[in-house]
Amino acid sequence: MMTKPVEAGAPAPAIDIRFGQVGLIQVRIRSTEPGAILDELTGKVASAPLFFQRTGVCLDMSPLGRDPQLEEMRAVMEAVRRAGMLPVGLVGGSGAVESLSVALDLPVLAPFRPQTQTIPVVQPAERVEAANPALMQHQPVRSGQRVYARSRDLVVTSTVGAGAEAIADGCVHVYGSLRGRALAGARGDISARVFCQEFRAELVSIAGVFRVFETLPPELAGKPVQAWLDGDDLRFAPLTS
Amino acid sequence: MTEIIVVTSGKGGVGKTTTSASVACGLARRGKRVAVVDFDIGLRNLDLIMGCERRVVYDFVNVIQGDCTLKQALIKDKRIETLHVLAASQTRDKDALTAEGVRRVLDELIADGFDYILCDSPAGIEKGAHLAMYYADRAVVVVNPEVSSVRDSDRILGLLASKTQRAEQGNGGVKEHLLLTRYNPRRVASGEMMSVDDVKEILGLDVIGVVPESPDVLAASNAGVPVILNDESDASRAYDDAVARLLGEDLPMRFLEEPKRGFFARIFGG
Repeated sequence: MMTKPVEAGAPAPAIDIRFGQVGLIQVRIRSTEPGAILDELTGKVASAPLFFQRTGVCLDMSPLGRDPQLEEMRAVMEAVRRAGMLPVGLVGGSGAVESLSVALDLPVLAPFRPQTQTIPVVQPAERVEAANPALMQHQPVRSGQRVYARSRDLVVTSTVGAGAEAIADGCVHVYGSLRGRALAGARGDISARVFCQEFRAELVSIAGVFRVFETLPPELAGKPVQAWLDGDDLRFAPLTS
Repeated sequence: MTEIIVVTSGKGGVGKTTTSASVACGLARRGKRVAVVDFDIGLRNLDLIMGCERRVVYDFVNVIQGDCTLKQALIKDKRIETLHVLAASQTRDKDALTAEGVRRVLDELIADGFDYILCDSPAGIEKGAHLAMYYADRAVVVVNPEVSSVRDSDRILGLLASKTQRAEQGNGGVKEHLLLTRYNPRRVASGEMMSVDDVKEILGLDVIGVVPESPDVLAASNAGVPVILNDESDASRAYDDAVARLLGEDLPMRFLEEPKRGFFARIFGG
């Protein structure tokens, strides 16, 4: 990407808003006892100080099996901070987490799928959002470009080039060749699928479960293909006409 | 009506400067007033290919910084009267280019009545390449039939579709053309090289010219005579066809197949 927009005509914008994915460490809280948390975390941080020191973590309260009180949460966060990590968010789920997030001034992050079986990932609200009209992309998605369809499907009537990313909270449909990456269910919808007319993808992901194609399987290469999630397995099959 | 054409590629060494020089000559030979501007500040090459390196007194950066007038910096070609070269600065770096400065120089060239302004872009996607494409009406994307060049061209096409004035103002965007260079039909036939159709399919664009790989190109560069002026060469004819297509003519593609070798050539090699 061009990191510094060149001042052309209008003054350069003060900010750029980008969609980016970063890996984030989760701390799953089974007990709100600050002493125990501090002890265990300190041990972990000491074992790999370069990795854990001042690293951002998000707190997943679901293993606790109940909704923690605000004071309890403050104590937990203090313990995590003293261990050397920086809480940057809460893993979402129940309404109690939402209200805690407001009180603690921390964002709620979408649930990480495999760890949160207790919380249904597909929420009724998202079902309604799925009725949104798809985002249409008629131009090729070129190498280095990224198109994101928020809360809806993405329909690309052209190609997705190598090194390009087509991302949707719903399904991704590519009516040209898919040579880059396709990420469906970007916010955890496990029913999302990827469809393409000519399969040459580098990577396909559904709800965070992904597969990298170092070499294309001959039964899929160049064919119309769909991908879907079957439990934790990402499956691919040619679309038979 | 002046048209600004950027010659770009992303990848280095694919033939941007060779193409800029030949297309500029081809347009000028057809009676158009042409200015060809080297945007590769710090790695000045266009003047060498055009054979006017010893006549560079002032350059693009001098004009931008007001050290001289545009007229003083424009070098008139000795072979074609309507052709002018604006050389890059060899001693500065790309930060010497500013968007306002480039706009001012282009406006001055437009006011001077040039029909075509060719912007010879540096390799890469940094400032120099960005400014070379920013004000363009059309783009000639030079691509070699190999994967890394095609990938970089795809990247450049993405930038042309988003980081240019025409894209930002939403008035139709920059018109894009592909020009294949270093095309070797024999290696295409043997599967070592991508074919025109492969490149077309991946990039989803039409091809405005296919220039065959030819020793004449290197010889022309060394001699400071754009290869299009060597009428004996296939590369010259291919560039001339591309220029005609740029001007809207519809010509069949040539040099897509290996020339048939005569009986004696087959016997004696050569």
